[in-house]
Amino acid sequence: MKQHPLCTDTERALNVMGLPVPAELKREWAALQTRRHFLGRSGKVLGLAAMASLLGTEALRGDASGASTYAAEGPLKMPYFAPKAKRAIYLFMSGGPPQIDLWDYKPGLAKLYNQDIPDSVRGAQQLTGMTAGQAHFPIAPSHWAFKQYGESGTWVSDLLPNTGRMADDLTIIKSTNTDAINHEPAIMLMNTGNMNAGKPCLGAWLSYGLGSMNDNLPTFMVLQTKLNDKENNQPVSSRLWSSGFLSSEYAGVGLRSSGDLVLYLSDPDGVDRNVRRKMLDAVNAINHETYEELGDPETNSRISQYEMAFRMQTSVPELADLSKEPQSTWDIYGPDAKEPGTFAYNCLMARRMAERNVRFVQVYKRGWDVHGNVTGTLPLLCRETDRACYALVTDLKQRGLLDDTLVIWGGEFGRTVYSQGGLTPENYGRDHHPRCFTTWMAGGGMRAGTTYGETDEYSYNVVKDPVTVRDFNATILHAMGIDHNKLTYKSQGLDQKLTGPVPASVVTGLLA
Amino acid sequence: MMWWQKLKQLRPRDAAAAIASLRRYITERVPKDKLTRTVWATTFVLSLVLLLLPWLVKLDGHAHADWEQFLGRFHPLIVHLPIGLLILVPLLELAGDFEPSLREAAGFVLWLALLSCVAAVAFGYLLAYGSGDAGAGVTRHLWGGILLTIAVMICLLARPYWTHATSSNATRAYPWMLVMALLTLTWTAHQGGALTHGKNYLTQYMPQPMKRWVTVGFFSKPPAVNSFYTKHINPILDNNCVSCHGEAEVKGGLRLDSYEELMQGGEHGAAVMAGKPEQSLLVQRITLPPDHKQFMPAEGKPPLNAEQIAWIKAWIAAGASSTATTVPGVAIHESQDRPLVPVPDYSALMPELQQMQAAQGAKLVQVSKNASDGLVLNTVDAPASFGDAQLAQFEKFAPYIVEVELARTAVTNASFATLAKFTHLRAIHLEGTGVTGDGLAKLTALTQLDYVNLSGTQVTKAAVAPLSSMKNLDHLYLYNTPAEPAVAVVPDPTPAPTTEKTTP
Repeated sequence: MKQHPLCTDTERALNVMGLPVPAELKREWAALQTRRHFLGRSGKVLGLAAMASLLGTEALRGDASGASTYAAEGPLKMPYFAPKAKRAIYLFMSGGPPQIDLWDYKPGLAKLYNQDIPDSVRGAQQLTGMTAGQAHFPIAPSHWAFKQYGESGTWVSDLLPNTGRMADDLTIIKSTNTDAINHEPAIMLMNTGNMNAGKPCLGAWLSYGLGSMNDNLPTFMVLQTKLNDKENNQPVSSRLWSSGFLSSEYAGVGLRSSGDLVLYLSDPDGVDRNVRRKMLDAVNAINHETYEELGDPETNSRISQYEMAFRMQTSVPELADLSKEPQSTWDIYGPDAKEPGTFAYNCLMARRMAERNVRFVQVYKRGWDVHGNVTGTLPLLCRETDRACYALVTDLKQRGLLDDTLVIWGGEFGRTVYSQGGLTPENYGRDHHPRCFTTWMAGGGMRAGTTYGETDEYSYNVVKDPVTVRDFNATILHAMGIDHNKLTYKSQGLDQKLTGPVPASVVTGLLA
Repeated sequence: MMWWQKLKQLRPRDAAAAIASLRRYITERVPKDKLTRTVWATTFVLSLVLLLLPWLVKLDGHAHADWEQFLGRFHPLIVHLPIGLLILVPLLELAGDFEPSLREAAGFVLWLALLSCVAAVAFGYLLAYGSGDAGAGVTRHLWGGILLTIAVMICLLARPYWTHATSSNATRAYPWMLVMALLTLTWTAHQGGALTHGKNYLTQYMPQPMKRWVTVGFFSKPPAVNSFYTKHINPILDNNCVSCHGEAEVKGGLRLDSYEELMQGGEHGAAVMAGKPEQSLLVQRITLPPDHKQFMPAEGKPPLNAEQIAWIKAWIAAGASSTATTVPGVAIHESQDRPLVPVPDYSALMPELQQMQAAQGAKLVQVSKNASDGLVLNTVDAPASFGDAQLAQFEKFAPYIVEVELARTAVTNASFATLAKFTHLRAIHLEGTGVTGDGLAKLTALTQLDYVNLSGTQVTKAAVAPLSSMKNLDHLYLYNTPAEPAVAVVPDPTPAPTTEKTTP
């Protein structure tokens, strides 16, 4: 009897890989085989499932979903055009910093203290569950005064005296706006361009599209800031630095905020580097065999990740060794920078990573979710971040790195002008506000010393030059030499991209 | 039986027989030399009529009867017939070498081409006359059409001497005439294309290197003046208005392609009244409601955007000067970037380049997909083992390297001599190296150098002094060096919380 080429019995079947069929079909076939192998050996399914969960979620998903397991076309691994920024540092202020208290100066609000915000301004705005029950929406002017800084005369809150000093280096966007009103969808949208989980984040797209500039460190690294229990910390998760449907080698590598920067990175007692090398060679050989047999690209990712971990055993300790930093470093970053896990320490590490050509560093600072007690919490947050932000940008600038490094500061949304909960002369709270929030960028081809976009007198609606999350991300990609419409990956029948299917445009008004 | 019923019964054979009998009649009854003379005379008279046409019916630049325009607008349709037919003729003639019947067809196609030429000229003339187009482009296109028609007629006359060649001197006239006709056709068609799509249509999206070659070769423009008009107003008019109000077409007698023409105005008077934007016809027309009959740009072309209109208004309000460099109330951001100078083609060196990377542990990576953006020398993976000798190995790639990242490598002052040979260098990273600045002056040979980073080295003020003569060197970093010691920056204190409440 003639064998069908797609017969599951691979021993007797014709080898499809040898047939003169298009390479795309062969890859499809390899992917099919993966699934058949997985399901076919149902007798051992429990054992396999256990093993798959040990291997990590990627292995499970790659097999079970059968979704795109190969790229429609390979990434370029270099910019589409000469970039202004070779690398980027994204200071992510998770929780939603209140733009009215930090950047968006509205002196006129003082007269309107405790008055209800007009319905015409609020329109049909969706409210969160936290303020939907409020009968009144009393206007809470900022508790802090603002000052003008630099030649640009930028108004900055007294809470950010140091950030204000570098106003002439910043490109401030007052008209950023988002579609989501709650943390998780909003933070996903900001990072991955989509409110639903499963899409690659900005850093993953960058490392997929541009490739690495340093073989000994990951292309995309994530630093988390230690929690301050006086602040209202919203959780962040590894979904935010996930590679989504891209190969897992493009996911961000998170450094821990306390203890070992990378768990189990140091060799245990009795295992020297040669033993480790031999072990890895053996594991790689087995993995290569698996790849030959099953053709699952995740196997290759696994091999490259083992190799990266091996190289990181020497590169990470060197990266984290701050003993050679001159005194001027501590003068500018402050004493906090000596303590691992603080925001100042993370900013210093971000600078050291930029020096070592790490393509993308994302620093997470949580706690900006000031629903209540703004006057109690906001100064704490600003104390932790203001000096460090200033130090990072200034340090990059004096070391000549700001020319080709893009620094981005921002959260997932803004906060309301009206008070959540009671409004007193001393204190107030602010709820989530998606319609406008302030972000800033510095260096890497951005127009320094400018403010882009305007909001209305209540800092509620954008009245000039709105910047959507899509536009924001398209502009970041542009600075890095990527045409956001060209960097795509076929998944679920769509040429997926960071900026999504809705048209987005590079905000040329931000560019130098 | 009525004549049309008879016609129905006719078969192709009958038609062929009729033509054959007519031909026989002419060749047998009319004396040969008389026939030739008649044909030549007719051609001469026709050519004369065509040549005098522009004087007989003058293109006066005014719109005429609607029916003329209606018919005239079929010109763009008809005009493609002679183009296609004429291109077919040489192909058929050549193919005739292999398949003689095709050469017989060529004569017929040539006849069709002549008829379609005459039709195209007639309709084209109606279009130009009817719509009142009288610009230089229209005139050129018209003359092209007339000359082409005459050339095709001569082709038809000369062809029998080529196909039934008896003497050698007569045989060459037809092919040469045909070549002339085709050249005339190309030129005329291009003129017509420039009228409808604008002069820059073909070159607008041309790849940069080709464009540079073409513009240097053919359309070298006088150097631009640094005025607001040249930089901002002229480009707006050029992109939106000049296809109808330019050298090629002069609708309404108005040209907007130069400052002098703009200020001269058109048949409705001045387009620009200096200092009075609201009374300037130009502003009035571009600010009408888009569905207004007199709205400009006309014919569904995209309207100017608010910013462009604001610039034009502000420029007119400020006196519509051709020399002023700024206009009050308009701040236009201009990029300070210098254009990148492309590096020579290095594709032949690719294999060697890859070998070199493997040998030295340093990489040469492309700045971008665009190879002419150059290469970056990246040593970050093995800085300690990369010294002067390794750098010297890359000399071969010197003209293609635009940036060297030598931070924290083992290079010394000796590397400056090598680096001076990297003629396309834009950026040099030397931070944290052992260089002390001896020989830095050699870098002054690098005219495109824009960025030098010497932070954390032992360079002194005296050593970097020669670099100050470099015009393009905008970014020189000396942080934490004897030339610029790191100064303690003491940040301002951030205010303390006013109330010591905990988060609810």
